Amino acid sequence: MRMPDLIDGSENVSVHGIFNWILLLSIFSIITVVGNYLGYKHPIADSLIGMGILSLITLVGVWMERYLPLNISSILYISIIGIIIAFPGVPTSDFVLYYVSKVELLSIVTVFLAYVGIGMGKSWNEFKALGWRAVIVTILVIASTYLGSAVVAHIILVLTGVPA
Amino acid sequence: MERIKIPYRKDDGSVEHIYREKTDKRILRKNPWKDYRLHLTVFALVVLAEIIGPFEIRITDSISFSIMPLIYAMVLGLVFYLLKPIKWIKRRQARIAEGAMMLFIGVLIAKLAISSGQSIHLIFEMGPALILQELGHLATILVALPVALILGFKEEAIGMTNSIGREPNVAVVVDKYGFNSPESRGVFAVFIIGTVIGTIFISFLVSFSLSFLPLHPFAFAMASGVGSASMNAAAIGPTLAAFPGMETQIEAFAGFSNLLSFCVGIYIVIFVALPLTQKTYELLEPKIGKDHVKIEGDDEDA
Repeated sequence: MRMPDLIDGSENVSVHGIFNWILLLSIFSIITVVGNYLGYKHPIADSLIGMGILSLITLVGVWMERYLPLNISSILYISIIGIIIAFPGVPTSDFVLYYVSKVELLSIVTVFLAYVGIGMGKSWNEFKALGWRAVIVTILVIASTYLGSAVVAHIILVLTGVPA
Repeated sequence: MERIKIPYRKDDGSVEHIYREKTDKRILRKNPWKDYRLHLTVFALVVLAEIIGPFEIRITDSISFSIMPLIYAMVLGLVFYLLKPIKWIKRRQARIAEGAMMLFIGVLIAKLAISSGQSIHLIFEMGPALILQELGHLATILVALPVALILGFKEEAIGMTNSIGREPNVAVVVDKYGFNSPESRGVFAVFIIGTVIGTIFISFLVSFSLSFLPLHPFAFAMASGVGSASMNAAAIGPTLAAFPGMETQIEAFAGFSNLLSFCVGIYIVIFVALPLTQKTYELLEPKIGKDHVKIEGDDEDA
């Protein structure tokens, strides 16, 4: 099935495109802040500033991925920016930590996964066409990937004497 | 029936920008924010999920098991898509949601990175554990490959069991074996199944592991970086809830291990996991291989 409506428009990131990013991040922030208030009772104004900081980092990261000539993913840019501005002793650190700590990770995850759930629906028919054998194998793949690294990490932590 | 799509791969063989392609197609060239019904639905799901709150199941006095609001939000999202009467959440909205999700991953990563920056000394101290746990992912070859062979898969099993089978892994397998190979069919199957049930499954798996396995809290945090942003998110939830007061450290380790899976994990798959799966397959297949079953999805394309 072709999706002609998705291939119109320009190849390049336009101002219009950046505007789309900003609006989407604003929508995401508002939903997260409301969820964060309902679930954890954090003040709305503080967590809105916190989400603003996180959205700005995201925006800079995705922008850098597309505009800088380096072949680096936005995930890496976002991580590096986040680590630097929160680094103990850096002037931005106190401000960033205060406001970002008002946004619980779980509030962000809940909104994120609501979008994931809706996006998942698209694969439902393909999923149903696959057999139970493949489902068993997939479950084992996920379980052993997770448990394998948990056990290895545990062993190394115990060997290096890290107290629980 | 729609053909299973090949995730994006650039001609130079690079597999690092799969997210960018999807996001740009779905976000930059449309006005995704205009689909207010999608966002209002997500808003309603989130409000509902947070109002219900976590649901705790007590197994014994000391062992309990909790279902987090994030699970309700996700499952309801899928249910809304599948329910016929809900006409405003359909394929188009799912595509927008998927594209938007690629952008929202950034917010999640930023939050984790800030915790990592705050605890950077701890990250350096725990460096060996953080790096070596990436090799723990190879357990899938030891556990899932023999089972796949016993269930009657042949070369498909190589694609299915070399790694967790998310976008970068799919790209690696397709790159090595070709789009129409049995290995690629295998990895597509795991990709699709992982997309639909992976996130829900891992959140239950993590809850059970937290209740029954006496592992170090940091080990659970590090393990949550399995190589998929949504599975990572779902795995952190119960871990945070299980160790109150350690939020920053858990977020720091989870974030950093996710970053490692993303940057280093792909090379482990190319240089270690995939060759190892191939060798193990050649070794085990003659011994425990059964009559070939096909992945049922195959013939549906036409």
